[in-house]
Amino acid sequence: MHGPVSEVIQFIDLNVYTITFLFLVGFIGGLVSGFIGSGGAFVLTPGMMSLGVPGTVAVASNMCHKFPKALVGAIKRYKYGQVDIKLGLIMGVFAEIGVQAGIMVQKYILDRWGQAGSNLYVSFIFVLVLVTVGSFVMRDAITMKRAGGTSESVPSLAKRLQRIELWPMLTLKTANLRISLWFLVPVAVATGMLAATIAVGGFIGVPGLMYIIGATSIVASATELVIAFVMGLGGTLIWAYYGMVDIRLVMIILAGSLFGVQLGAIGTTYVKEYMIKYVMATIMLIVAVSRFFAIPKYLNELHLVLLSDGAVKLMTQLSFAIMCFALLVGASIILSSLFKARRLERIAANG
Amino acid sequence: MVAIERRDPSASSPPLLDHRVEHHQDRPYILVVTRNGHLSEHVMDYALNVAYRLGYGIVTVHVDTLPFYKDSGRRCRLFAAAMEESTALFRGKAKTKKVAIEHLREEGKVGVVVSRLCHAKKRIEFVIIDKGIRLGEVAKHSPVPVFPVITTNQGQRKRTLIHPPNNKGVTAMSTTSRKRHVKNCFLFGTLTTGLYAAVFANQDVVMTYFAKGGLFAVLPVATVFAVSFFHGNFTSAFWSALGIEASRKTAAPRVEQDRPLTEPVVAPRPDTRPRLQLNA
Repeated sequence: MHGPVSEVIQFIDLNVYTITFLFLVGFIGGLVSGFIGSGGAFVLTPGMMSLGVPGTVAVASNMCHKFPKALVGAIKRYKYGQVDIKLGLIMGVFAEIGVQAGIMVQKYILDRWGQAGSNLYVSFIFVLVLVTVGSFVMRDAITMKRAGGTSESVPSLAKRLQRIELWPMLTLKTANLRISLWFLVPVAVATGMLAATIAVGGFIGVPGLMYIIGATSIVASATELVIAFVMGLGGTLIWAYYGMVDIRLVMIILAGSLFGVQLGAIGTTYVKEYMIKYVMATIMLIVAVSRFFAIPKYLNELHLVLLSDGAVKLMTQLSFAIMCFALLVGASIILSSLFKARRLERIAANG
Repeated sequence: MVAIERRDPSASSPPLLDHRVEHHQDRPYILVVTRNGHLSEHVMDYALNVAYRLGYGIVTVHVDTLPFYKDSGRRCRLFAAAMEESTALFRGKAKTKKVAIEHLREEGKVGVVVSRLCHAKKRIEFVIIDKGIRLGEVAKHSPVPVFPVITTNQGQRKRTLIHPPNNKGVTAMSTTSRKRHVKNCFLFGTLTTGLYAAVFANQDVVMTYFAKGGLFAVLPVATVFAVSFFHGNFTSAFWSALGIEASRKTAAPRVEQDRPLTEPVVAPRPDTRPRLQLNA
């Protein structure tokens, strides 16, 4: 049995520059994923495309690298007692449904308004979700930091939802909460839909788990890795069925990202809870700015605005650069807080 | 056979003794023996309680049973550093109870050390041994009674007699675990390299089959699972070998425990009192 498009796809030749670039982006993306549960993947697709990888192969290879990374991160964080497997698997299954729904919406928009319309829709969702959720998470992180950041209180919405006894009720031991399945499903489906649209479901998944379900940020970000694993595995099987996965690219990215994901997971054991929210919100807000610069290109393609080619090219490059910057900022906050906390712990142990 | 380090807190710090025992040359002593760097805390607590009640002093002896271990002195250094921590802790505890305490470091066989110390000028009334020392080994040489302190783990039902592990301080950075990480690092590093070499050396064949689609989809998925196992273990061992590991304070489950899921069930209070076993 052969995939319908396998004859026409082109796989790129690898060189030192390509390998180094993918390894480094993999490492930084892995570091962020290990820490906040997702993220990092959004740079890889445009990154690979800029190297000359066809769009579908880039998306497929990105998806294929995501699930082993999530698996390794989830196992590591499970050892630290942070993962609620039951919650992750249930959410993962419904997120998969969300992914399919997201793809259908994408297809509808593609048929109706063409490629530029679809891209505009993706960018619009990017900016909308990232700005609203990102600023909410950032505000919460700052409030927590001011309060000392020692313990996390359960958000009032989550408290109210947990009180509603609606069959079937789920008791989640690690997350230490009891909630109806009916409240998990919308969060999971939204996570899947976002993953299908912007490749990072965690930007809805983790805040959803924290503010709607009521898990702590540590448990939420760790459980998101299980969701990402389930979604990634499902997605990869579909892409691999069509023969779109470039295993070489996947392995190079994984070579870097597994180093990163381990370090990110280790980092969560050192920092205070608000740091996860802080890093996540910072990345989300910077990425939102990056996508904002991508919008004029699509508006131009739809002839809604008139811009010169030079300006469009500049804005596209700027958009990609800001995206890389978002990851770098996230990674440096994680690394600096990890090593700072380690130093303090060593001093405390010696003194 | 030599007391390498002899600590008398009264010499360097303010006197710990209260009026009952001050400058009492013939004060009876309890000998607490350990062969570990860290003396178990429950042994410390038990010895202190008994000494306090009886008005005795305590002599703690850390016996290095492997003084000539061939690791260019690393074990010795770790032992000394661990002993330092342990004595500081014990001294702090003793200070609150105002019990006189001395620390010795000895080398050699535990039984021989106990016998020598008991025959020395100190009036040692009985010996308390820490985990890792066989009762018979000491009792054979000791002229006074020997007691191991054993705690039950949890409650009445679980009768397994164990000593709570000491996960902090110098012994936690044991040479063996670091060595194991380095070994794992090499093992999984080699396996990962092998896997990558196999794929990249046969790029053409691999890309032909892996991109065929259909049932061949299993190939890339199985490969990435193999990568996540080998490379995942390698990266994990790599950071551990570099000493970058999870925080000791928070590596345990970090879940809020203050919100009970159900009504609390009244459970019998666990009996964690130290038990004394007589070698009579």
